[in-house]
Amino acid sequence: TWPRLYALVLFCHAIIIALFYLLTKMYS
Amino acid sequence: MHLLDWLIMLGTLLGIVAYGIWKTRNVNNVRSYLLGDKDLPWWTIGLSIMATQASAITFLSTPGQAYEDGMRFAQFYFGMPIAMVILAIFFLPIYYRLNVYTAYEYLEGRFDLKTRSLTAIFFLLQRGMAAGITIYAPAIILSSILEIPLLFTNLFIGVIVIVYTMLGGTKAVSVTQKQQMIVILTGMFAAAIILVFKLPKDVGFGDAVAVAGKMGKLNVVDFEFNLNERYNFWSGILGGTFLFLSYFGTDQSQVQRYLSGKSLSESRLGLLFNGLIKVPMQFLVLFVGILVFVFYQFVQPPLHFNQANVKVVESSEYAADYQALEAQHSEIYQLKETEIRNLITAINAEDEIAITSHQSTIQGLLDQDIQVRKEAKEVIKQANPDLETQDDDYVFISFVMKYLPIGMVGLILAVIFSAAMSSTASELNALATTTIVDLYRRSISPEQSDQHYLFMSKLMTVLWGILALSFAMVAPLADNLIEFVNIIGSLFYGTILGVFLVAFFMKQVNGRAVFWAAICGELMIVFIFWLTRFGYLDLAYLWLNLIGCILVMLYAGFFNFLNKKLG
Repeated sequence: TWPRLYALVLFCHAIIIALFYLLTKMYS
Repeated sequence: MHLLDWLIMLGTLLGIVAYGIWKTRNVNNVRSYLLGDKDLPWWTIGLSIMATQASAITFLSTPGQAYEDGMRFAQFYFGMPIAMVILAIFFLPIYYRLNVYTAYEYLEGRFDLKTRSLTAIFFLLQRGMAAGITIYAPAIILSSILEIPLLFTNLFIGVIVIVYTMLGGTKAVSVTQKQQMIVILTGMFAAAIILVFKLPKDVGFGDAVAVAGKMGKLNVVDFEFNLNERYNFWSGILGGTFLFLSYFGTDQSQVQRYLSGKSLSESRLGLLFNGLIKVPMQFLVLFVGILVFVFYQFVQPPLHFNQANVKVVESSEYAADYQALEAQHSEIYQLKETEIRNLITAINAEDEIAITSHQSTIQGLLDQDIQVRKEAKEVIKQANPDLETQDDDYVFISFVMKYLPIGMVGLILAVIFSAAMSSTASELNALATTTIVDLYRRSISPEQSDQHYLFMSKLMTVLWGILALSFAMVAPLADNLIEFVNIIGSLFYGTILGVFLVAFFMKQVNGRAVFWAAICGELMIVFIFWLTRFGYLDLAYLWLNLIGCILVMLYAGFFNFLNKKLG
């Protein structure tokens, strides 16, 4: 359970960074 | 400020404090005082950790930073979720298994008393000074904005924090932080929503974001690897992970927050919750700064954001020079607003050639405006050389005071005071705990009664509070004090983390080797810092944490090898 939760947290974080990158690219 | 704003601000702040004191009226033994009753659920732990980290300067400076420099600062927090996962896997189980009061207590069992005392003293040195700055930095800005003496804003933050932290200990800190964090998040969300409605009728939210992007403010992620660039993806992921590992794993002001959790699972969930929420929260605070920036493209901004400075220059012999600069600033603003409206039309028409043309014209006007603002700062300096002319910290709060509706001003000021109090409370609580547990009860006066240690813990909370407040009082007399305290923080963090990582992962290393590794590592970090300070080396300060940590681990391995060779 815990490793799956850790993986989920890091996966969500990667999604957030990807969205930020998309924002940077779309509006620059 | 309107009477309703004063009522909302004071009612919110004092209501939270009264609730904290009432909730902790039965704290009557030292364990309960220093660890709460170990009954906090994960979401209280998460909010408490966030409230400890987010000081008033987070909400004063960060929007101003976005206004001037865009969203790059968000990358500083990219390492945080990684650090939270590492802490949940490796640090927390050890702290819980050994049932410690402080992080440094663990080091005595693993190494020896002198290593424990050394890390505790490193912590007391850096955090003791930082607590003074946590009070002083917002106090000076609020005193200027509210037009009340600095002495009063210092005392208002300091005395209230000392009273409730002294009376209720760790639990008072945690229960008030939960309420304070709710006020903070509500206030910042409300500010963002009101800002969107403050934009001109013909400028939608999408237009605002597009304008900010075309003016170079939405630079959230930069993948270029550059060691002397302060904020990019790599410094955030690598340097940031080590900084946050050190801050959350070995700084007692944070460790104490999650040690008062109901169980290991609740504390782990609290850390993970914090790791996930923190980056979006910082994004929100930065985005508020971006919205203020866009707002000021359609409403003329002041030439200088610190009105107290403007009053000084306007009543000096340099008033005419300043007025000439204001006229230039106004002229640039008119041209820029017209160009920005043309840019929005071009964006909506998807006319790439026109977009590029308007973009370069706007950039030229922005550069001119930056030059005029710089000259204004020089004129202010001529009027009074002692004035601080950096006005980034005043961008958001001066907007709040001038443009937000009655009631919201009080709420935003409650946000800033709450953030100052929640951070200071954690610091005083941790300083008292470390002083009593790691030094007084361990080495100075062991074998006393529980009531004696409870009394001494309360006394230490008051003494550290008075020291922090005194530091805040003399701060205006010292140049660059804030920078000095921040540097002190980054000089010690890497070394302390190195000691803990040796403890966890280098099982064969003993106390003697790690003690001297910490001393040598710290001396090397001070030397590297000295090289960067005087221009011999170009290195962003975030990397010092990583280097300090690696140096301690290498030295520890080397000294341990020597130990074995020499018998």
